[in-house]
Amino acid sequence: MRNLSLYVHMPFCKRKCPYCDFYSLTDFEDHRRYVDALLLQMEDYAMAASPFTVDTIYIGGGTPTVVSERLLYDLMDGIYRNFKVFLDAETTIEANPATVDLSSLKKYKKMGVNRISFGVQSLSDKELVTLGRLHTAQEAIKSYEMARKAGFDNVSVDLMYGVPGQTVKSFTDTLRRITELDPEHVSVYGLKIEPGTHFDEIKDTLEFPDEDTEFKMYESAIAMLRSRGYAQYEISNFAKPGKECRHNNVYWTLGEYLGIGPGAHSYFNGSRFSFKRDINAFIEAQEQPEADIDIIDENYRISPNERVGEYIMLSLRLTKGIDLREFTKQFGLDFEKMYGELLDAYVDGGFMTRLENGYAFTPKGMYVSNYILSDMLDFDSEIDRNIANGSDR
Amino acid sequence: MSYNRDNIRNFSIIAHIDHGKSTLADRLLENTGAVAKREMEEQLLDNMDLERERGITIKARAVNMLYDAPDGERYSLNLIDTPGHVDFNYEVSRSLNACEGALLVVDATQGIEAQTLANAYLAIDADLEIIPVINKIDLASAEIEKCRTEIEDIIGIPAEDCPAISAKTGLNIKDVLDKIVTEIPAPKGDPEAPLKSLIFDSYYDSYLGVVVYIRVFDGTVRSGDRIRLMSTGAEFDVVDVGVMTPFGLRSAGSLSAGEVGYLTASIKNVGDTRVGDTVTHAVGGVTEALPGFKKALPMVFSGIYPADGARYGDLRDALEKLQLNDAALTFEPETSVALGFGFRCGFLGLLHMEIIQQRLEREFNLDLITTAPSVIYKIDKRGGETVFIDNPSDYPSADEIEQSYEPVVRADIITPVDYVGNIMTLCQDRRGVFIDMKYLDQTRAELHYELPLNEIIYDFFDALKSRSKGYASLDYELKGYEPSKLVKLDILLNGQTVDALSFIVHEEKAYPRARKICEKLKENISRQLFEIPIQAAIGGKIIARETVKALRKDVLAKCYGGDITRKKKLLEKQKEGKKKMRKLGTVDVTPEAFMAVLKFDDE
Repeated sequence: MRNLSLYVHMPFCKRKCPYCDFYSLTDFEDHRRYVDALLLQMEDYAMAASPFTVDTIYIGGGTPTVVSERLLYDLMDGIYRNFKVFLDAETTIEANPATVDLSSLKKYKKMGVNRISFGVQSLSDKELVTLGRLHTAQEAIKSYEMARKAGFDNVSVDLMYGVPGQTVKSFTDTLRRITELDPEHVSVYGLKIEPGTHFDEIKDTLEFPDEDTEFKMYESAIAMLRSRGYAQYEISNFAKPGKECRHNNVYWTLGEYLGIGPGAHSYFNGSRFSFKRDINAFIEAQEQPEADIDIIDENYRISPNERVGEYIMLSLRLTKGIDLREFTKQFGLDFEKMYGELLDAYVDGGFMTRLENGYAFTPKGMYVSNYILSDMLDFDSEIDRNIANGSDR
Repeated sequence: MSYNRDNIRNFSIIAHIDHGKSTLADRLLENTGAVAKREMEEQLLDNMDLERERGITIKARAVNMLYDAPDGERYSLNLIDTPGHVDFNYEVSRSLNACEGALLVVDATQGIEAQTLANAYLAIDADLEIIPVINKIDLASAEIEKCRTEIEDIIGIPAEDCPAISAKTGLNIKDVLDKIVTEIPAPKGDPEAPLKSLIFDSYYDSYLGVVVYIRVFDGTVRSGDRIRLMSTGAEFDVVDVGVMTPFGLRSAGSLSAGEVGYLTASIKNVGDTRVGDTVTHAVGGVTEALPGFKKALPMVFSGIYPADGARYGDLRDALEKLQLNDAALTFEPETSVALGFGFRCGFLGLLHMEIIQQRLEREFNLDLITTAPSVIYKIDKRGGETVFIDNPSDYPSADEIEQSYEPVVRADIITPVDYVGNIMTLCQDRRGVFIDMKYLDQTRAELHYELPLNEIIYDFFDALKSRSKGYASLDYELKGYEPSKLVKLDILLNGQTVDALSFIVHEEKAYPRARKICEKLKENISRQLFEIPIQAAIGGKIIARETVKALRKDVLAKCYGGDITRKKKLLEKQKEGKKKMRKLGTVDVTPEAFMAVLKFDDE
């Protein structure tokens, strides 16, 4: 029996945040028509997914909670009808504070959602304004407490650092107050300027904390969260024991997932593919299958080489890192032989630690992981099996 | 079809950049009917794109046109174009020597500029009849009378009835043609005398071999003749002779005294056909060459490396091709620890260097890394040996040197008086020795300085322009070698000397320049995994230091809803970027960083 994860994209927001480059619209009204299209897409997937059992479901966005409970119910219903789903599947919904109330939260709970991820970002009202968020710190706390009241026992909070005007102090204040709320899971993301966003246009007018300050923020997040019982398990993710996000772990361990909706990505049967970021095309393609509308953006098979590269890239996001035996078992290659001298240099430089039977980034290494990975990996060229399979010749 | 010598006129056009030389040439061609307007490429004489872009003429070209004058006679006019930059002074003087007259084009809105003046003096030295032409009179700001006065006062030639024209609109072009016919003397010479002709240009053609542009002074050269090039003694059999028309070469069978044209003789290398050399017959030729021949000597040297080491062969091919047409360009293989395999190239001057670099990049699609330009230093070593050094890597260590010498030039700078102060400061700053200053008129002054060549090869020209709002102009000639206190400055990255960044500098300048270069490198080297010390040293003694801090942040924090492709692409892009960098020991350096350290000017 193979496990499968589902990602459903809800590309709607009340307002577009100036830093965000996810596919999301503020002026698309006909949510019903969109959800119906999602259901049709699921029917399409149903046959191919029949040997699988769904272990995690993630309703992301956008802001899924701007869609009515009725439509979300239909969506969940559609999932259960089209896929085999484990009884204890991790089912997450993303929510923005002040887009939920006790009644809606209770309904999510009823329809099978058992994890909620709040985009809190900051508990400084000034920073929230800079980030273009439509809620205050107080409202975020209120929404969080309501989720508890509604019976959610697995709540995650997203926070952001590297925000214009943010200081190490204001960030650690936010962190402290969040840990006092005691969520099961915390994601801490560094703000990154994405091309085409509003922040990208006005970046010269914004005062970002410098590289060193950002690293201090990151280090203090790791230290502070650890002292309050949250272990870092991935570059940006922290959890109480047993509360790691199962869905995201699927991405990082090369598990299979199907993405549904415009802009959603899938990794299924050895291929990566995604839908175009175009809601109208997506809907029309579902409504008129005979019209043969092309809504596939990328679609390619992962070569064995590429898979090795992906495995290394994704495993090293995790604090548990690369397991040497697992690596050899999966690929018949010897990780240490492939990267011998480089690994020594990274360990000596304090970027990696040598584990009992593997390698992992230190926090310092994680924070420059792109630089290191772009030295290590080459997705295009053939791996020299003579060197890499461990036979000394 | 030879013309009666009395009906031949050989002339060139002297003008400052932008004063309308090429446009005037176009109009002359149009008006002589040699070329119809619609068939004409804009500015026909400038063949190279680069020239057109920079508005300058690099290599001389010549063209023949026929003009039916008001006196009822048909005249054969040979326009010999000249390059317009100080690096090519010698070529200019040879082109002028092929003429009897010159048009001196003056922009009615600008007046005489330094460069025009320098070329005008060359023309006067060559005994040419000078016809001033006041151009751009269609512009509202034209001051024709002021121009006439200037020409008379500054150059000392009558300008009362000189043509005032607009090359752009075609106004009064006939006046110019008539002046050419009436004022410029017909060439002298004896078609029956032994052959004596001057090479004023040449270019390589893959079918014809070298096409040599000549002016015949005495005698006649015919197809089939055996000729000798007097500077080398090399002999060739003439395949073809003829004239240059706007549409290409036209075979004529022979060229006689007074005429300008081309010859081909299956010559393989432009190095054999040096500008200024004399062509005569192998048998029964003259014994004495025309005066003034000089072999073009490179004065500025720099290492040129392909940014992608794999393209070394392409770079060599490209240099060989360029050299076919440019005997002044020299190159030999060179190896740098930092940059790998490349070439040590010699140039006439900075402009020449820049032109070659740009042509390599544009016409041959090469990405280059160029090291700091160097001049040739003369070193008396202990023990009596004298060596000439054009590459800092070969510079002897201090204890081997008895005395070092550096080349010094005589520089003439003409500038509006407002900027004299700025320019004197600049020249002092560049170790210049003030000789004298003359006022040309109320508004302009001419400054004479002796300047070390190594102070002007970096960015002196740019600095001069920026300190004079673009008005000052520079002309220089080599004076000779003078004793100097020179040191070799080494640059170390992460404790290792980067040979390609070493350069020779005057002792006094070593400290400020070392500091500057360290700062520049710091700005241009991106943060990497480890802290990178940048040091400048003289003979092992560190005199300046900067540090590039270690990279702290380079991470993709978020996983974008399972979009793994995006992350892979990001890493691939980063990998590509790194491939473009040069690994200097453990440090990755972009080609841009090498270029940035070549600019010293603060303003």
